[in-house]
Amino acid sequence: MEYVNPLTGLRIDGRRPTEMRHLKAQIGVVSKADGSALFEMGNTRVIAAVYGPREVQNRGQQMNNNEALVRCEYSMANFSTGDRARKPKGDRRSTEISLVIRQTMEACILTKLMPRSQIDIFVQVLQADGGTRSACINAATLALADAGIPMRDIVTSCSAGYLCTMPLLDLNYAEDSAGGPDVTVGILAKMDKVTLLQMDAKLPLDTFETVMQLAIEGCKAIAQYIREIMLQNTKQLECRRGS
Amino acid sequence: MGLLISKLAHYNQAQKKQNKTKNGTPKVPSSQLSTLNSFSHSLLKFTARRTPTSYQMETTQTTEGGGGGATGIAAQMEVEAFRRLFPLPFYKRHLLESVRPDARALDYARDTTISLGPVASADGSALVKIGETAMLAAIKLEVMTPSKERPDEGSIVVEFYMPPICSPMVRPGRPAEVAPVISKQLLDVIRSSGMVNLKELCLISGKASWIAYLDIYCLNADGSLFDAALLSAVAAFTHLQIPLVSVTEEGRVFTVSSEQEEKTKFELVNKEKRKLSLSSIPFPLTCVIHEDYILVDPTAEEETVMETSITLVLDTLGNLVSIYKPGGVGLASTEIMKECITRTKRRMQELKTILEESVSVMEVD
Repeated sequence: MEYVNPLTGLRIDGRRPTEMRHLKAQIGVVSKADGSALFEMGNTRVIAAVYGPREVQNRGQQMNNNEALVRCEYSMANFSTGDRARKPKGDRRSTEISLVIRQTMEACILTKLMPRSQIDIFVQVLQADGGTRSACINAATLALADAGIPMRDIVTSCSAGYLCTMPLLDLNYAEDSAGGPDVTVGILAKMDKVTLLQMDAKLPLDTFETVMQLAIEGCKAIAQYIREIMLQNTKQLECRRGS
Repeated sequence: MGLLISKLAHYNQAQKKQNKTKNGTPKVPSSQLSTLNSFSHSLLKFTARRTPTSYQMETTQTTEGGGGGATGIAAQMEVEAFRRLFPLPFYKRHLLESVRPDARALDYARDTTISLGPVASADGSALVKIGETAMLAAIKLEVMTPSKERPDEGSIVVEFYMPPICSPMVRPGRPAEVAPVISKQLLDVIRSSGMVNLKELCLISGKASWIAYLDIYCLNADGSLFDAALLSAVAAFTHLQIPLVSVTEEGRVFTVSSEQEEKTKFELVNKEKRKLSLSSIPFPLTCVIHEDYILVDPTAEEETVMETSITLVLDTLGNLVSIYKPGGVGLASTEIMKECITRTKRRMQELKTILEESVSVMEVD
């Protein structure tokens, strides 16, 4: 199947190879949560809600008294994918992604400032069209910022692949299931450090460099967008404060 | 959905952020402050002298001030503390004035909005917001073989989920207690109201029929969960678009997308039946009872404080479909029940108008 049209150079959804899907984010969608955000990357829609810092619920899990405990749960809605047959949580993929998101966010939250407390990050996928992992991390960053939890830097994530001898940025579901390599990168935007790097399928080393570089560019673009959203949100809050 | 989510966020922010800034100090925008703050303060002033906590309340009266100033904040914190420590007296004082902390009258429900079709991958979907409570319902149709006793009927499966994002009470190891209760209530009401004629879900009698999987996710739990869930289920069924199907020689049923319809000449089995005809749509209303007061459409806080709730479901033909009063401290006399029924009738008219408006908005698009 032609994922990149040789004549026009466009992908199946009409994007150029290094073009990302349309981004949209909103802060504060769940009023009950301490912080929440809705993040859309093309057709992938994800809601993240943060509860915390609050009291540790399960004393057994609290390993370290000097740091906050970060917990994450990822679940997909039954109707999020094309076919409904899906166990929303508890299956291996969901557990793996929960772990990945937790460890990525742990890297940037200043846990030492909140000892003996717990921060819960819950992510719910409403529509899945490839790149759910990245969308969840981006949504979690916004939700943590909304909750006022101190962070080292903002974490953004993006995926890239290599199909028809072209590096492609931000794969959707069709491109992802094509069997080509899929590189997911998560970076701390300003510090320019990589916290998450996952890849499957085979890829020669020099091609890998190009693809990873492309993914990092994508992450930086998302970081720019996230900063704009947070700035807008802060302006609105300032307006409401009446100052 | 984007438009509705932005309305959702805007509304939420206006309500929530007025109580919290990033460093946790409560702040109230000056426009709202004068109505809410001075009102709560005047309430406390009214009964301050009679309670043992009056000393603290007395000091707050003198600091009743204009918006945003330092004394306004200190006074606001006293009200918040009182609300947390003595929720029942806080509410009682509001009830004496026939009003609620969010400035609603006792028999007014919160703003309700319905948005149809937010989930593009589902055959029918709806997002419903009652105040802060948000529910997302989606219907996916699959083909199944009908049972021998009912060869020309399809079936409906209802599942209600409360994911951890919706409320601080729900945690991964400890699912919400009310979720399976509401799930069963929904199934009972949808079946007994006869809203969906199961015969319409039949494809080929005895061989193939539709099974409709209705999944409802609670995105924000702020009281009246059953109301919002039933309304979203009804709206999703209104929006449901049955896909075109055709049968292969081996008898396998497959869906035909609308582009293929014109190009190829598949024998379409259900060309006429694309939408369900819904008769007698049920509309719910939840009230909480406290002594002789009836509070319509409670928030989560009101539900926990008052503890006794009644849910009534009426359908468009005027029949009472369901009454649900699961025990509770408050006792409901027949007068109270009749009052609740009147309120439900009025609410039903409101909801009917809102649903019809959202359907016409969708058709225009």
